[in-house]
Formats: sequence, C-alpha cells, structure tokens
Amino acid sequence: MSVTFEQLLGSPLLALLAGVAAVMGLLTVNALFLIYAERKVSARMQFRLGPTEVGFAGTLQTVADMLKLISKQIISPKHIDKPLYHLAPLVVFAPVIASTALFPFSEAWSIVDVNIGLVLVFAFGGIGIIGIFMGGWGSNNKYALLGAMRSVAQNISYEIPLLLSALSVVLMTQSMNLREITVAQGEAGFWFILVQPVAAVIYLIAAVAETNRAPFDIPEAESELIAGFHTEYSGMGFAMFFFAEYSNMLIVSMVGTVLFLGGWSGPGPAVLGPIWFLAKTYSIIFMMMWFRWTFPRLRFDQLMSFAWAIMIPVSIANLIATAVVLKVV
Amino acid sequence: MTIPVGLLMALCIAGAFIAVSAKNVLHAVFGLAIALLAVGGMFLYLGSPFVATMEVLIYVGGISVAMVFAVMLSQAISSVDEGEGWVRRALGLIPAVAFLAVIIPILTNHGLPPAPELPAAAWSVEAIGRALLTHYNLVFEMLSVVLLLAILGAIAIAQRPRKGEEETS
Repeated sequence: MSVTFEQLLGSPLLALLAGVAAVMGLLTVNALFLIYAERKVSARMQFRLGPTEVGFAGTLQTVADMLKLISKQIISPKHIDKPLYHLAPLVVFAPVIASTALFPFSEAWSIVDVNIGLVLVFAFGGIGIIGIFMGGWGSNNKYALLGAMRSVAQNISYEIPLLLSALSVVLMTQSMNLREITVAQGEAGFWFILVQPVAAVIYLIAAVAETNRAPFDIPEAESELIAGFHTEYSGMGFAMFFFAEYSNMLIVSMVGTVLFLGGWSGPGPAVLGPIWFLAKTYSIIFMMMWFRWTFPRLRFDQLMSFAWAIMIPVSIANLIATAVVLKVV
Repeated sequence: MTIPVGLLMALCIAGAFIAVSAKNVLHAVFGLAIALLAVGGMFLYLGSPFVATMEVLIYVGGISVAMVFAVMLSQAISSVDEGEGWVRRALGLIPAVAFLAVIIPILTNHGLPPAPELPAAAWSVEAIGRALLTHYNLVFEMLSVVLLLAILGAIAIAQRPRKGEEETS
C-alpha cells in the first residue's frame, strides 16, 4: 500500500507544500549532479579530465556556476516582447515540477498517485513547448525564433512516436497509472523491454528528441543558431532553461524506467525500491549522454523525415502488432 | 476548495480576456492557452481527471501550438487594423446574445440534478475505449472524417507553391 503526503500530514495544503519542496529538492540535486556528470562523461569520452579544481574532483564546480549565474546582471535586449520574454522560463519550468510529482519511486513512495499519470506526464510536456515558443518569439532575435520554430516542429513530431510507443505498454497493462504499470511488470515476472523491444527503442530515440539533445539538438545547434531559443537569456533566465532541460531528461528517463525497466523492482528488500528506480533512471540518462558525445548532429530535414517516415510508421505497426498478439494469446 | 476554484475561474476569465482583446495575435493565442489550461483545472475540480488531462494534452499542447504555427506562417502578426465598423459590431453581437441566452437559464436554474458520481472503474482505459467505439461511435467516426479533411486541406495548401518547381532537397 502506498502512503501519500496527504495521509501523512493530514492537510492538503501542507501536502502540497511538502510535495513541491520534495520535488524541487530532487530536481535541484538532479540538475547539479547531471551537469557535473555531463562534464565528466564528455571529458572521459574525449580523453580530457573535465572539472577538477573546485571541491573533491571538481564536484562543487556546478555549485560555483550556480552562484555565478544567480549573481549575474540580467541583460535583456531592446524591443523584446516583455511579458512573453519574462514569462517563458517559468512556463518552461513549471510543468516539469508537476510531472516529477507523479512518479512512484517505490511501492510506498509517491507524492501523488493518479489513474492517468502517464498521459498527464505527456500533457505537461506539451505546456513546455509553448514556453519555448514564447521565449524564442519574445527575444526579438532571428536565431532565437528559428530555434524555437525548429524546437516546436521537432517536439510535435516526436511526441507522436513517444505516445504510440508508450501506448503499446498501456495496451498490455490496460492501465495508465504509473504504479499499476510497474506492478504489472512485477506480476508478469519480466520487464516490458523484453516483450516490447521495438517500443523501447522508439521511446528512447523519441525521448532524446523530446529533450532537444544531441544528435537531435538542432533547436540549439551552436554552429548555426548560437544557442537557439535561449540565445538572448542571461543569468537566471538562462539557468532556468538549463534547469528545465536537465529536469526533462530526468522525467523522460523516469517514464522509460516505469514503462520498460520495471520501475522500482529489483533484488533486495522493498526499502531499496527508490535506489533501484533511480539507478535505472540514471542508466538511461547515461545512455543519452553517451549519444550526445558520440553521434553527429542530424540536419533538420533528416530529423523531420526520420520522425514521419520511419518512427511513426514503425510505432504504429508495433502498436497494431501488440493489439493483435494480445487478442490472439 | 473554494479558493483554488476561484483562482481557476479568475485565470480562465483573464486568459479569455487577453485572447479577445490583445492587439498582438500571438498574445491572443497565449491568452487562449491560459484560459484552456484553467478550463482543464475546472474539469479536474468537477471530477473528470481524464477530460482535464485531454484538455491540457490536446488543447493546450496541441491546438494552441498549431495556432501559433499558423500565426507564424501568416503575414501580419500585430498592428492589424481591420477597423471596427458597425457591421462588425452588430455581427459580434449575435453570438454574444445567443451565448448568453443559453448560459443564463442554465446558470440560474438551480433545479438541475447533479451528475451521478462515477465509479473509479469508469475511468479505466478499457471503459473509455469501449464507450468511444460503441456508444459514441458516430461522433468518433465523424471526427475522423473532419480530421482527414483537415489533413487533406493542409497538404493542398502546402503543395501549391511547389508546382512547376524542380524537386530540390
């Protein structure tokens, strides 16, 4: 049985505050860790050392960077669309908090437990796209606008295979509850990656594209667009976009863990659930980093045709095949 | 629960106001997105989490983004001065009056029975799928046809400038 914050604290308002605090804590630690990990992983893959000076083996480098970003003067360009420009980082970041709260970290640990958690995660993901567009448009900058348009086109295209691959699992479990999907894998005795390998691969590729990471980081391709939609943001505005990007990596990896890797399940006592959950999540994130530093960036038309000509047909075929097999067996 | 609902209502009205009054078309679209998000929240309050999620997924994440795209493809984003002649005002009055004529009796009629509480099983994937493909099948199929027409229209519009042009990659 799961215990929610509301049952624990006895008041919905306290539960809300505790939930937001817990999620923000997790996301902050996650961002600090991931930025450090990305620097170290990229350095290893390129025979460099990465950060070494601040703290033990450079572990405090990200903290120092955060302090720097907070204390920076915020410079905004002339003739920006003020409300959109200033709201964009918040609109990108707010849905991230909401989605993170939906995940079951173990049999007993979850902040909110909703029946349609899986769809809700994707729905919140859609709000972030609007934020990216607000930022790109509000910046009054050609590169930012181009980056935003690319980002939105890419996100819409890859959302379809992402949803379809997740639907293959939903067909098997007949539930969109993230907890029930995990439990179903425990009852079946195997992880769904074993029976849904095609969906798992499609999910991973689409998730990399959804988070705008290399080799699909065309919205912020440095060599052509400076930094894409967040070109004109400095200080904490920029940090918020960065924060949201790393948090989104965490979210898509957590969804992947729940859908295909059995969530919190693993050997050992049930107390180890959150550790297994996070271990699986961070292995997916490590793979995404591995992709970034070993694959070259795609061209934009290649990216779009890959989504529409390969990813979507394959995921629809996989969905139909799943339905047929389920009906026959 | 009254304060959150009040906030949602205020958010919805504010968003709708931005949507109809903003001079910049993009601001209007973002205002509409705010209003739709608040409507999603209202559905949640009314006990329909599935409809609320779909509202966010389809209207906020899909339709609003598509509208932004359509605006980007059009020429004039702001400073469109269509003029406000009396004909336009009179035409605008018709839907406003019609809307009020429908909504005021509903709001003032307290005799309406509340909808029965749905059991949790009604929200299962299977139940929704079954209802869509049996009881609401006609609506479902009609929507498919409308969407198909929309796709065909989009292809027709997108193809036109390319005619007589060599295929270049």
